[in-house]
Amino acid sequence: MSLTINTTINGKSVSASAEPSTSLLDFLRDTLEFKGTKLCCNTGECGACSIIYNGKPINSCVTLAADANGAEITTIEGVADGDKLHPVQQAFIDTGAVQCGYCTPGYIISVKALLDRTTKPTAEDIEEAVSGNICRCTGYTKIVDAIQLAADRMAGRV
Amino acid sequence: MDYFEPKTVGEAVSLLAKYGAEAKIIAGGTDMLVDMKYKEEPGCLINIKKIPGLSSIQENGGSLRIGALTTIRDVETNALVRDKLTVLWESSHQFASLQIRNTATIGGNICRASPSGETLAPLLVLEAKGKYVSADGEKTEPFSSLFQGPGKTSLGSKGLLTAIDVPYPAAGSKSVYLKHAVRGAMDIAMVGVAVLVTPDATKNNIQDVRIGLGAVAPTPIRATKTEALLRGIPLSTALIKEAAAMAATESSPIDDQRSSAENRRWIVDALIRRGLTQTWKAATGKEVA
Repeated sequence: MSLTINTTINGKSVSASAEPSTSLLDFLRDTLEFKGTKLCCNTGECGACSIIYNGKPINSCVTLAADANGAEITTIEGVADGDKLHPVQQAFIDTGAVQCGYCTPGYIISVKALLDRTTKPTAEDIEEAVSGNICRCTGYTKIVDAIQLAADRMAGRV
Repeated sequence: MDYFEPKTVGEAVSLLAKYGAEAKIIAGGTDMLVDMKYKEEPGCLINIKKIPGLSSIQENGGSLRIGALTTIRDVETNALVRDKLTVLWESSHQFASLQIRNTATIGGNICRASPSGETLAPLLVLEAKGKYVSADGEKTEPFSSLFQGPGKTSLGSKGLLTAIDVPYPAAGSKSVYLKHAVRGAMDIAMVGVAVLVTPDATKNNIQDVRIGLGAVAPTPIRATKTEALLRGIPLSTALIKEAAAMAATESSPIDDQRSSAENRRWIVDALIRRGLTQTWKAATGKEVA
């Protein structure tokens, strides 16, 4: 059996069909061609597939595509404003928080979700926000610097 | 695979009755998706997330009713949970990652019945009850009879957990959840220990004590012999040592990739000593002598 999924991705209405067992990650990548959301552990442990689902960061690999029905989703492709990068993306570039880059879309999503909630995150808020994202290059210090810089820029402190 | 999104509890229960053991319920999906990818797809998947009214937290006299579809994040960020049910708050705060907490449900964590399920030892210690609906009707039962083995509950494929009732512990009691894992986030507990202590009015004797152990037996368990040893007497350093050793013998851990059984017993011993010392001090203001 095949389901019709009507969802909103990066502000645009989308309709496509999916098998009921399909994960939201496979639906985004393989059916809708949003390849920025990365497939990595595929078990909900690494955060590479993070998306914003109704305002909250979740792992799309352990969510049913069927649950996208009626939901509002933001993927990494929807973070920039046209050619203008989101402050979180710019801060990752400026602090050198990107090494191989595979985990980066997931981090950007987690950090955007945090800074959408508050532009004055505590050290604990930052740690919690990215606790579900793993960087195998282990460049964590620069990532934390990037988050702080993005928060400062978004709040107009720098 | 057949797939349904029932809109009422009654509809979900009818589907369970029709499909029997072939049916699997999915809520948050953080465990079910992994099973479907790497083990097997069920004959029938019943997605209960479209059933309204199962995701609220409400105060009900001296207890909290938590809907089965409440996410772990909503449990964690609820002021009443944090204020009144410390041990449940601590376990939800240490649960996997933010992404998983935003999706996983408390009903899913319970019905999954993993020995290491993060909220289970705390819920045993809080003496929570589940509200179940099946073709035979509705019943409310304590969790002590629910867990039957790893991944096995007395509900089987017959019924739906719709809510849990968590009574507030007695005034003056203090509780703690201690988790031992290699990594802070995203790691399954090698051992999880929940301790709740209620001193008597003089703050000299233990009036009540409840100890829950996770990841060290086929199901989460209460260390009932250890609790009996401690009740009604003053806590001392010697008693803590004896109680911790007894709790370790009440556990029946296995060797696996996360830890050897012997190491798990040592950790139970250490966490019980820490948990009793901390909760006693928090509840009485006194160091254990």
